[in-house]
Amino acid sequence: MADILGRRRFLSSAVLGTSATVLTATTIGSLAPEALADPVKLDVEAGAPDPNFVEGRITGIAGGLLMVTGSDRTLNQIHLTKATSVWKLRPTTADAARVGDGLYARGVRMPDGTLAADAVWLNIVNLQVHITSIGRDVLHLDHHGDRIVGHVVSGTTAAVYNNTPAVGDLSLLEVGRHAQVIGAWRPDTNEVDVATVYAAA
Amino acid sequence: MWLASAQQAVVGGVLLWASGYKLLHRNASAHARRSVLARLTGTERVAVAYRAVGAVEAVAGLLLLAPPVFAAEAYAAVALSAGMLGYLAYGRWRAPESSCGCLGDKHTPVRGRGFARAGVLLVLSALAVTATEPWLNSPLATVGVAVVEGAVVVALSPELDHRWLIPLRRWRVRRRHPLSRHAVEIPLESTIQQLWKSGAYRSVVEQLTSDLLDHWDEGEWRLLTYAARTADGPVTAVFAVPRLAYEPDRARVALVPVAEDIFV
Amino acid sequence: MAELDPRAPTANETSWFCCGASWGPCGSAGGGACGNCSSGSRHCAWPNTSDACFSITRPDKCGNDVLRRTCGHTFYVKSLCGTTEIAVKIADCGPQTDLWCGEQSCCSGKCAKNRLLDLTPSAYSAIGNLSSGVMPVNIRS
Repeated sequence: MADILGRRRFLSSAVLGTSATVLTATTIGSLAPEALADPVKLDVEAGAPDPNFVEGRITGIAGGLLMVTGSDRTLNQIHLTKATSVWKLRPTTADAARVGDGLYARGVRMPDGTLAADAVWLNIVNLQVHITSIGRDVLHLDHHGDRIVGHVVSGTTAAVYNNTPAVGDLSLLEVGRHAQVIGAWRPDTNEVDVATVYAAA
Repeated sequence: MWLASAQQAVVGGVLLWASGYKLLHRNASAHARRSVLARLTGTERVAVAYRAVGAVEAVAGLLLLAPPVFAAEAYAAVALSAGMLGYLAYGRWRAPESSCGCLGDKHTPVRGRGFARAGVLLVLSALAVTATEPWLNSPLATVGVAVVEGAVVVALSPELDHRWLIPLRRWRVRRRHPLSRHAVEIPLESTIQQLWKSGAYRSVVEQLTSDLLDHWDEGEWRLLTYAARTADGPVTAVFAVPRLAYEPDRARVALVPVAEDIFV
Repeated sequence: MAELDPRAPTANETSWFCCGASWGPCGSAGGGACGNCSSGSRHCAWPNTSDACFSITRPDKCGNDVLRRTCGHTFYVKSLCGTTEIAVKIADCGPQTDLWCGEQSCCSGKCAKNRLLDLTPSAYSAIGNLSSGVMPVNIRS
């Protein structure tokens, strides 16, 4: 914990103060973006499976290594590093991963076939729904005829109304309206924790 | 018996109602193409089949409602209801996301309520078989039964939720919104939206390799970190975004070198 | 509103969707309208792949005259913020454009309106982050 706080203090001073050891945006401007564009992303043919992307469920965890079984039964191993972002309802760390979590991961395929992950999203869902009922801390949603329970998480769940900036005030959500929900699926249930609700105009 | 007679009116009324949409609505063909029926007949013939089903329902409904009582009319309704159950089972098995196409223009995939409704109509049709006198002979009792049984059919019809259930829930939420007591803070998503609009973000976006790594608040700022890669190696991109004001132009960025990738 | 000219890129919004065998609420999505859609492949959904598709998505209600493009057609998509461009093939019908008419999202001073595209997680994550629900992009054929 002290490590994290120390790192945060260092990063704060870098961006809010001045530090000679830090590259600033003006320096970066001199580097041509094309030279730095990740060539791997451009290599994938339209319609082809993406070798630098993994989809599936976590079937094993060993330190910083995730064993993932894809929906097509392929097995993948994913390395997590300190530079890997992990999302599970909110930005979090690698130790939030659990066996059984659904996963999307993007990274770089290594020569040994493993994926060095840049970003991992656990249980993330993007649902087009109708709000059928609203209760205390809960939204009842209809997803193509299936019922989904959306849990409102205090301090996390936000709403975007008519593309105005996101707010924490959910009291403008209306029953019967269409919405888009970004959330974290609770594995093996029909329930999700809601990160963001986009309410249609 | 008056209860059996009343079922003639209820079942006849429901059949007539179901046929009305299939025969008269201008969107009926489009809806037919999205229904389970299209899987059975093919999309070229589904519109004709849909209207044919509607015609059969209309005839059966009118015969039940019209005074001379023949058991055959009720048997026809029993057959239709049994056929409906088979149709729903086929739909659930082969085309679970297709619309039922049963009663109205809302897209309603085959679910439990549809089966329950068809089952109820089957039972009521079977009861109507035992009727010996027209329902017109006991109008008051018929109306009473029709109101109660009609309410049950409506409650089991997802196509009709928008007419009563959704307005009821909307009224309840308007009286006192269940989510209104949540504290109004500046959510992370708002800061990220503001970041996207900033020049600081634009200047380094092509170097970013990860989604949000970490975030914390410091005074008037919210700090966001992402992993990034430059020609000199891996760095941490740290952004400072105004937390309490919407001023994307004030956002700042710094790229801080890190040691080699450390496996967790 | 401008017709989607095959020569000129247009700026619109995209979201992301899952398809093919998958975990969670996506499990029932199936192979999409084209039968071969997969979350792990560079696929997209388009609102005018057929008459039946158009009757559901109705992009005309948002003032968009969207050309008919069928399964297998290739688009080139780039986030308004960045320079990375990816190639995706149409594998499904979507998004539900008419439910989001007038919606706008912006990145780095450039904005785009109306949802005309939906990308698989593989495609979306190549030019953006899955934790965002919608993103402004340039689309060209």
